[in-house]
Amino acid sequence: MTGRETAWRVLAQEFGASVEEEKGVGDRAASYLISPLGARMNRVLVSGVLSQAEAVGRDPENPFFRAKLTDPTGTISVTAGGFQPRALAALRTVTVPTPAVVVGKVHLFRGRDGAGYASVRAEAIRPVSAEEVRGHLADAVEQTSQRLRLMATLADDIRGANTPVPGFPALWVRSAQEARQRYPNVDRRGYQPLLRATLRTVSGELALGLPDPAPMLSGTPQDEPAAPPPAVRITRTTPPPPPGLPSAAERAEESAFLDVIDQLADKSADGYADLNEVVRAAARTGVTAQRAEELLGRLEESGAVEEPVVGKLRRS
Amino acid sequence: MSLSPPVEGTPPVEVRLRDLRANDVPVSIVARVVTAERREIVRKSDGGRRPVLSGLLSDGTASVRFTWWDPPSDPIERGEILRAVNVQVREYQGRLEVSFNWKSRVAPAGDADLPVVRPEDIPLRPLAEIRDGEDGFRIVARVVRVAPKTVSVGEDRRLLHEGVVADASGALAFTAWSDFGLKTGEAIDVSGGYARAFRGRPQLVLDERSAVRRVPGDGLPSAESAARGAVRSIADVEASRGGELLEFQGVIVGLLPPSGLVNRCPECRRAVRQGLCRVHGTVQPEPDIRARLVVDDGTGTLTVQAGRPETERLWGRTLEQCLATMRANPDPTVLEEELFETLFGRRVRVRGRGSADDFGVTVYPDFLEFEPADPRARARDVLASLEGGAP
Repeated sequence: MTGRETAWRVLAQEFGASVEEEKGVGDRAASYLISPLGARMNRVLVSGVLSQAEAVGRDPENPFFRAKLTDPTGTISVTAGGFQPRALAALRTVTVPTPAVVVGKVHLFRGRDGAGYASVRAEAIRPVSAEEVRGHLADAVEQTSQRLRLMATLADDIRGANTPVPGFPALWVRSAQEARQRYPNVDRRGYQPLLRATLRTVSGELALGLPDPAPMLSGTPQDEPAAPPPAVRITRTTPPPPPGLPSAAERAEESAFLDVIDQLADKSADGYADLNEVVRAAARTGVTAQRAEELLGRLEESGAVEEPVVGKLRRS
Repeated sequence: MSLSPPVEGTPPVEVRLRDLRANDVPVSIVARVVTAERREIVRKSDGGRRPVLSGLLSDGTASVRFTWWDPPSDPIERGEILRAVNVQVREYQGRLEVSFNWKSRVAPAGDADLPVVRPEDIPLRPLAEIRDGEDGFRIVARVVRVAPKTVSVGEDRRLLHEGVVADASGALAFTAWSDFGLKTGEAIDVSGGYARAFRGRPQLVLDERSAVRRVPGDGLPSAESAARGAVRSIADVEASRGGELLEFQGVIVGLLPPSGLVNRCPECRRAVRQGLCRVHGTVQPEPDIRARLVVDDGTGTLTVQAGRPETERLWGRTLEQCLATMRANPDPTVLEEELFETLFGRRVRVRGRGSADDFGVTVYPDFLEFEPADPRARARDVLASLEGGAP
């Protein structure tokens, strides 16, 4: 089935901690933002208090607006431009902080330092009652906790990426496996207290207010032990270079070899370098016949050299 | 080859379709034609044409596809019983097939020649496992609902009964072409029915050859509990490619065109564009309102086809009011936008029948209502689940 992308329910904290992108391949392929808890988001449904939108860019022909959506765990940047006329119109009407529900496509901006900043390019926005926002937050808390549970289940046992886990959609399991690979060192313990604190807003105990600078601390009552800060720590280990990539020395050797081919091809009448001559010329630069074969094999495989007729070489 | 009497001498052993095996031993079968279609196979080498009749045979124990090379020119009717001697049994794409070739002898036979099958001999199957095209099974199920309906078959008007049956494994829609006097709540034992796909879902078909017996129905769900099945996640509904008695909740995240005010063909109710029906050509269209809702619960997404009564109720606007708006501002997209603004982000509860195609699951609702958010109760439930399964 080539279905529509599901709108994942996420809280601002998990959304903001998502920095891994899965780029689709092929025509009109979708891209996904993978969260540390295993949400694989192309589209999201988020809810909270929407701030007044600011115009980004000065071109009146190409309006682009950005607003902040605040939930009890943080803020999400919500944008809309000329390609989202419906959402753009709705963003423009927001002049005071308003409870709202937003559905949109996930966009990941990569800064020059390589840091990722996720935002939501809204498809539709609607001002709603605080009650409705709390209903949507309840969904987000529930599904976040289900994702946490799934991650814990997967951490406990070793199984294939496509093994079903009872009670969880197959897509969730695949997404969680992907998240486990991409965020191998994430500390997920901070989320549980965060969800509890958010539930206090859902139940109406805490007002759905403006962003609090420290939502966790103010949301923790005195009779409970202070929860650890909700920040998700991501430790990245530099992945080892994949095997098979040529080292610098090998690259130099290849480029010298290519020069030999070019010289011989230039001199020859048909524009091709003769294989035997190439091997002899390479031998004069200290490359053995066996090594020459290896280099040639690699260059042909990578497409740098072509051999349309056996024994006739040319740079492609 | 023509219809000819069975060969004399030592005939191949007669087997039931259930006992067929794919080997080179020629066998003899007696079976009823369930479906038959005549075609011509064009030989690639010289373009020569060879007639072939193919379809489905059943003897009450199982059904198999058949291929009859060079069939007689007399038509072979659906329901006819044939005795075929010396037929070849092959396996094709994992299913058995029989073929009648020049060595085979095919002759008409009577009901008495069919193997006697007692209902108890037919394998009992859970409803959830029944697939399109199957027959030769028996089910024990509860009638969840049933209603008469009149349809046109060619020139005829025929009365049939449609409804849903359920057992512990699931539910299946049915169409009964004969009146078995079925009533809601009855437990029935059915043999001699077959399954056929309707809108991508298998459906049970009963006709004059089917046998229906009333049974006590111990262990079957009641009609009420089956009709109000468990609330399922949309991912689950998608995984089962729809179902008969679905119930789910979700948020309306989109509206697919055409929604709002549409024009329909008075003949076939298809949507009409520029006054042209796909089937009936130029027609005088009748206005209607409908909504194709995209409903999403965070685990999956599907389409709910809301008809006029549901759309009017959710929208809070009637068809007449919409037509009045159109007279003032003849732009239907304004109405569609207004409908979207009313519905977007709203939580709904849906009960109905869903089927799947390449674009996902589409649900035809029996029940479609806004669902109150009730965050206080949700917070309690979610907190309880956090305490219960804290990782």
